[in-house]
Amino acid sequence: MTALDNMIREIKDLTPIPTVANRLLEMVEEPDSSMNDIAQIIQYDPVMTVDILKTCNSAYMGLKMPAESISDAVNMLGTDQIIELALVKSSAKVLSGDRKGYGLEQGDMWRYSVSSAVIAKEVAAQLGLNNKSTIFTAALIKDIGKIILEKYVSKDFKKINTLVKESNYSFREAEKKVIGIDHAEMGALIAKAWKFSPRMIKLIHHHHLRDESMMNDKEIAAVYLADCICMMVGNGVGADGLSYRFKDQIMKMHGISHSDVTGIIAEFGVNINEVNVLLKMA
Amino acid sequence: MKQIVGVADMKVSNNPTDDVITYSLGSCIGLVIYDPVARAGGILHYMLPESAIDKEKASKKPFMFADTGIPRLFKAAYAMGAKKPRIRIFVAGGAEILDQNGFFNIGKRNYLALKKMFFKNKVMIDKQEVGGNINRTIRIEIASGDIFMKTSGSKEVKL
Repeated sequence: MTALDNMIREIKDLTPIPTVANRLLEMVEEPDSSMNDIAQIIQYDPVMTVDILKTCNSAYMGLKMPAESISDAVNMLGTDQIIELALVKSSAKVLSGDRKGYGLEQGDMWRYSVSSAVIAKEVAAQLGLNNKSTIFTAALIKDIGKIILEKYVSKDFKKINTLVKESNYSFREAEKKVIGIDHAEMGALIAKAWKFSPRMIKLIHHHHLRDESMMNDKEIAAVYLADCICMMVGNGVGADGLSYRFKDQIMKMHGISHSDVTGIIAEFGVNINEVNVLLKMA
Repeated sequence: MKQIVGVADMKVSNNPTDDVITYSLGSCIGLVIYDPVARAGGILHYMLPESAIDKEKASKKPFMFADTGIPRLFKAAYAMGAKKPRIRIFVAGGAEILDQNGFFNIGKRNYLALKKMFFKNKVMIDKQEVGGNINRTIRIEIASGDIFMKTSGSKEVKL
């Protein structure tokens, strides 16, 4: 049995992200789905409902009256906000553990994922994208491949790190060279097994922009750029550090200026409390 | 006690039982200052070089920017009895993504903003760990002024 066969078996053994996340993502894509439909899906999951209401009623949200049901919460805070909370809650379990193979302590990957997702919302707005929930989710779960790959990275860390330090490989390129598969490819396999949409699978697969011909895809650009900005900010970064490639052509292509990037970083600095509120959902 | 400096944040202390720490600096800069006589010091964790890009955010979060954060860090240490000629300075962070050149290199620009300000005010850096593609966590013990650094996946080392 090859290492890849083993990995594929490990994917089958993972506890997937709850199906409610998938259903919600489908809903936001459908133009005629209503706020009620969305509330209904969330209410099916009592644990999630309680956690979402707890977050909605936290001091940070500043509601004048407490939300007593998901419908209340949707009415008071808007559909986007509630969907985001549901997606964050859905992915909390799988993302909040430690990933020692990547030098990630307990909570690091979670912090990075949530930060990335919050930044991605800003980037999506900058790029004029309407489907913010898809971009938010892709940014949130894009590193999911690391949960399988970490063991293999740990075993071969010296080899990978030498390629990065001495031969100008990016960390992803070194993973591919040494292990035969990188965390973006692995993430796409997991997303496929969990029946995410082809678009979500594609966004995960290309989140380090492995294929430059994908650069003109606005959604891929948004997730990629959010990841780069998050790396710069550094919230919850592992041993792979900032060892990924930055393509400034993508900025020009999508009309993103240097001051747009600093503006997004500054916005993140102001929104750091939002990140802290979301982190507590784990 | 552990005093945690968040992103766009600053903490200064003269309590000998305190450790001041900031986590996971990427392109941000962690500026550590310490006066061994007053036994006072602290850390500023700023994200961007210049507040001119957004004055409103700078007034809300002055520690986000080099030009509004650095003077506040020194003033807070002076208020605890620190004196400029005695202050020791350590700088960490300013990392960059691979192939990150020119204007988009926030790490380098963050570092240059600090250098420019120090040059103007005749301040010298004693030690630094800047640039590269790694992220850094830094900690200072207020009692001794000892500084420690940790990068992800490695053990903490005393500098």
